Amino acid sequence: MSNAPEADLNTKSISIRNIGVTFKSEASDAVEALCPIDLEIPAGEFVALVGPSGCGKSTLLNVLAGFIPPSVGTALVGDDKISKPDIDHGMVFQDYALFPWLNVLDNVAFGLERQGVGRDEREARALENLDLVGLKDFAGKRVHELSGGMKQRVAIARVFATDPSIILMDEPFGALDALTRRFLQHQLLAIWQRNRKTVVFVTHSVQEAVYLASRAIVMTARPGRIKLDQKIELAHPRDFSAADFRAYEKLIYDQLDEELAKTFNLEGSGGTFRD
Amino acid sequence: MTRAKTAAQILPYIYAAGAIIIVWQAVVTFTNAHVALLPPPLLTAKTFIDLAISGQLFIHIGASLGRVVSAWILSVLVAVPLGLAIGRWRRVEKIVDPVIELFRPISPLAWIPLAILWFGIGESGKIFIIFIATFFPILLNTVAGVKGVDPVLIRAGQVLGCDTDRALFTKVILPAAMPTIVVGLRISFGTGWAAIIAAELVAARVGLGYLIADGMEILRSDLVLVGMITIGILGVLIDAAFRILNNRFAWGS
Ligand SMILES: Nc1ncnc2c1ncn2[C@@H]1O[C@H](COP(=O)(O)OP(=O)(O)O)[C@@H](O)[C@H]1O
Ligand SMILES: [Mg+2]
Repeated sequence: MSNAPEADLNTKSISIRNIGVTFKSEASDAVEALCPIDLEIPAGEFVALVGPSGCGKSTLLNVLAGFIPPSVGTALVGDDKISKPDIDHGMVFQDYALFPWLNVLDNVAFGLERQGVGRDEREARALENLDLVGLKDFAGKRVHELSGGMKQRVAIARVFATDPSIILMDEPFGALDALTRRFLQHQLLAIWQRNRKTVVFVTHSVQEAVYLASRAIVMTARPGRIKLDQKIELAHPRDFSAADFRAYEKLIYDQLDEELAKTFNLEGSGGTFRD
Repeated sequence: MTRAKTAAQILPYIYAAGAIIIVWQAVVTFTNAHVALLPPPLLTAKTFIDLAISGQLFIHIGASLGRVVSAWILSVLVAVPLGLAIGRWRRVEKIVDPVIELFRPISPLAWIPLAILWFGIGESGKIFIIFIATFFPILLNTVAGVKGVDPVLIRAGQVLGCDTDRALFTKVILPAAMPTIVVGLRISFGTGWAAIIAAELVAARVGLGYLIADGMEILRSDLVLVGMITIGILGVLIDAAFRILNNRFAWGS
């Protein structure tokens, strides 16, 4: 595709330096969720994070979002250490996390208001971003009037509206049906190609990872480590059924299967798994 | 709301009133009750209308409502912020919760002697008793409302620029907890309204509770009944008004 990135885009690198997370509680034993990992993500890269459930993907994202402090290590966005949630670090949640007391427009304008953007400009920019996800006509609707797919599109409009330098997405399409999911993948990709924000995208779907990402990271079973770090060098739009697409899928599945076997304690049984 | 819908909501109350009046009249007729013990509905209605025409009834209503509203506002001002703090911070909850649990089972009635000792027989003692009656429903609902806020909404607020506790409270926690808080406001007004009798036992000279107490003293059961009926009707009307407010906040469904 020839969409040249816009000139004054806000996008930053992410440096994960020896980040490890161990959950400690009085009630039970400490849980090591994430082995110390290192990962350099250049600005503008779309990274898909794949791994067995419980391997620490959400934990890593929560550290990057500033929700939980890492037990060891530091994470940087650009040159700044991540220490707390920041409007410059956008997040899209699996269950949408829209504010039900606000209408669609006000949801998208929420962050802009916090940034001190005036009312008229706020509305204009919120509408612009709703237009990107094809929901301009739904600006006045209440959240509970929307379908799941529409809600997630509003959430995507909301995160892009504030123009963050990185965007974290934790299984954003995990709760959607297959067709809606395809449509949203397509829309997300189109937006990303225009503004080249650094994206870290957690998914359970290998196909989704290969379709969207410029780089796929496969994590091991808990405590998570990086098992495979694979650049995906396919031109967009990508074709699910093309041989090279399939080859990437296989590469990732082969790594995942080993980890799934560990997760389900079936090591040595010789079987493989496909979802 | 459409007219038909309103009618459908009011009708059951009219049936209920009709049934009560019929049973009431039947009891009077068959037991031959003395008028000082149980006056017939018609006589009671006449007393009601007389009191309304003379304006006295409205003076009583005004006095009682005024007390409940003042106490309720006071309660809102104390219980909502306290509830927000308890719901939000475990440490506050740990300290305050046992205190609340100890006070909660004590009926507002039990506070009457202390209310008189502390505040005398003026308005403040009465307002204090209603305050006690309204306090816990507001507090408990506010706490439940805050605790019930989906943590993911708080996180969403944080990554969308609510970088202070204050911003998080006003922009996310309070609006998210509002439907539950409003339920508490409604329930508490009801418990406060029911407590006016207790409050106005403390040397009142006006108010529906006074009307009832005075009616008993001078053996005028019709006055007692007029007081009771007025409390009942107004209670239903106030609750209906609050339900409309509730619906405005019920964005969830
Ligand atoms: N707050 C927490 N306290 C204790 N353990 C946790 C907590 N959050 C996550 N875990 C554990 O850490 C591991 C990784 O969780 P998570 O990052 O959510 O996995 P994933 O998103 O890859 O499915 C899991 O075993 C989970 O049970
Ligand atoms: Mg997860």
